[in-house]
Amino acid sequence: MKNFFYNAAYFLKEAKTVIRLNLLSNIFSLFSTGLIFFILAMVISCWWISAQVVKAIQEEAEINVFFDESIGDGDVMQLLGKIKGIEGVREVRVVAEDEAYDRMAAILGKEARVLEFFDDNPFSPFIEVKIYLEKMDTVLEELGTLTGIQHVRDNRAVLDRLRNIAGVLNSLGYLVVAAVGISTLVIISHIIRLGIFNNQEPIDTLRLLGAPEFFIAFPFLLVGLLLTLGGGMLAAALAAFALKHVYIQMAGPLPFIPLPPREALVSGMIIVVMSLSAILGIVGSLFGLSSAKSN
Amino acid sequence: MIEAKDVGLRYPDGTLALKNIDLRVEPGEIVYITGSNGSGKTSLLKLFMGAEYPTMGSLKVLGQPVVKGQAAAIRQLRMAIGPVFQEFRLIKGRTAMENVMLGMRFLDIPPGQLKKNAGDALVKVGLEHKAHSLVENLSWGESQRVAIARAVARKPALILADEPTGNLDKDNALKILELLTSFKDKKTAVIITTHAPHLIEGEKDAKHIRMEKGSMNWERLG
Ligand SMILES: Nc1ncnc2c1ncn2[C@@H]1O[C@H](COP(=O)(O)OP(=O)(O)O)[C@@H](O)[C@H]1O
Ligand SMILES: [Mg+2]
Repeated sequence: MKNFFYNAAYFLKEAKTVIRLNLLSNIFSLFSTGLIFFILAMVISCWWISAQVVKAIQEEAEINVFFDESIGDGDVMQLLGKIKGIEGVREVRVVAEDEAYDRMAAILGKEARVLEFFDDNPFSPFIEVKIYLEKMDTVLEELGTLTGIQHVRDNRAVLDRLRNIAGVLNSLGYLVVAAVGISTLVIISHIIRLGIFNNQEPIDTLRLLGAPEFFIAFPFLLVGLLLTLGGGMLAAALAAFALKHVYIQMAGPLPFIPLPPREALVSGMIIVVMSLSAILGIVGSLFGLSSAKSN
Repeated sequence: MIEAKDVGLRYPDGTLALKNIDLRVEPGEIVYITGSNGSGKTSLLKLFMGAEYPTMGSLKVLGQPVVKGQAAAIRQLRMAIGPVFQEFRLIKGRTAMENVMLGMRFLDIPPGQLKKNAGDALVKVGLEHKAHSLVENLSWGESQRVAIARAVARKPALILADEPTGNLDKDNALKILELLTSFKDKKTAVIITTHAPHLIEGEKDAKHIRMEKGSMNWERLG
C-alpha cells in the first residue's frame, strides 16, 4: 500500500485510541508481560552463566598423581614424560610441596591460619595432569599400568555433579521459555480480542467503506507489538539491574566462579528479550485477530 | 450502473425483506426510494453496497455481481460507493476532518491530496468551521453533514443516502436533499431513501421508486 507511510501516524493514533479505550486492562497486560519477560531474562542469563561455568570447569578436568616420595627426580621426570604421552592429556607439570601449600593458603584465604598449626608442610608434591574431560576413563586406565605411582585423585565426581546441575538448569530453562511464550501469546491475543470487540462498530464501518482487512487490523497488531515491546523493555531494565546486584553479590564470597563479562551478558540478554517480545507480540496479535474474526 | 433482475432478500431469521426487485440505474441519475418504515429501503441499499447478498435473482452494481465468496471484488465495489448511513456511523474520538480523511486513506488517492479533498468536502457541506471538532460534540445536523462529506470526498461513482431527511423539518430536509443531489454528475448517480414522499413532489429530474412490503413500483414525478 503506497499510502502506508502516510498512514503511519494514523495507525499509531488508532493504536493509542485502542489502548486508551481499555487502559486498565492494557496496563495490566503490559506489567504481566513485563514480569514474565523478566523471569525469562533471568533464566536466559542463568543459562549463559551456567554454560560458561561448565565450560570453564571442564577445562579444569584434572588428575593429581601422587608418586612414591622415595623415587628420585630423574624417575619423576621419566614418569612425567610417560604421562604426557597418554592420549587425552593436555598438560602435565609437577607441583612441589611449597606450591601445594601456597595454593591451599590461597583457597582458604583468611582461614589459612589453620595451616600454621602444622610444624611441617603437610602437603606432598604431585603431578598435575590436565586432561580432556571425556578422556578421563582411558587416562585413568593408562595411569594404572604405570609404575611408581602411589595413588591418583581425580575431580570427576565433582565435575559430573556440576554437569548434572547444569543439565537440570538447561531443561528447566526450556520449560520456562515455553511457559513464557505460551503465557505471552495468551495475554496478548486476549487483549487484542478485547480491543477488537470494543471497536466492533468502527471496524464494521471501515469494512462497509471498503477498507482492506490489513488496514483495519494493523493498529491492533501495533497494539500487541507496543505492549510486548514495552513489557520487554521493562523486563530488560529490571533484569539488567538485578544482574548488576547478582554480580556484586557473587564477586565477594565466590571469586573463583568464572562469570562471563557482565556487559556482554546484559547486552545479549537485552537483544534476546527484545526480539522475543517483538515476535511474541506479533504472533499473539495475529492469534487475537484470527480468533476475533472466527467469532 | 445498477442492474437488478428479480432480486429478493430473505434474512436468516426468515424475514422476506425484498422480493421481485427489477431496476436499472444509469450514471448521472437521481433515484428516490420512498416507503414506510419496514418496507425494505435500507435492505435495498445494503444490497447495493454488498452489505447483504440477494437470496434470489441477480444483481450487478458497477459491473460487479453482488454474490458471496468474492470478498476482494466486493471490497473494490464498496470503495467506489459513497454511503451515508441512516445512523451516520462516524468514528467517535476523532474530529470531523479525521473522519472524512479516514474514508479515503485506503483509496487510490495520492497522500498529498487527502487533506485537500477532505477540506473541500467539508466546505461543500458548509462545515469547514467544525473541521477540528470531535464528532461526538457535533449536533445531529452537523454529524449528518460530516457523514455526507465523508461519502462525497471519496469521489464515488454511486452515492447511497439512507433516510437523510430523518426527523428534519421540511425546510431543512429540502436543503439536505438539494445538497445531496448537487453531487450528481455525468458519472455519478445518487440514490436517496426517505419515508416522507411529500418531500420529493415536483422533482422533475429524478426517478422515484415506491417500496411496499418489500416490493417496488416506479412512480411518476413532476
Ligand atoms: N438484519 C435483519 N434481520 C432480519 N430482519 C431484518 C433485518 N434488517 C431488516 N429486517 C427486516 O426487513 C424488513 C425491511 O427492513 P428495512 O430494510 O430496514 O426497512 P426500511 O429501511 O424501509 O425501514 C423489516 O421487516 C425489518 O424488520
Ligand atoms: Mg431504514
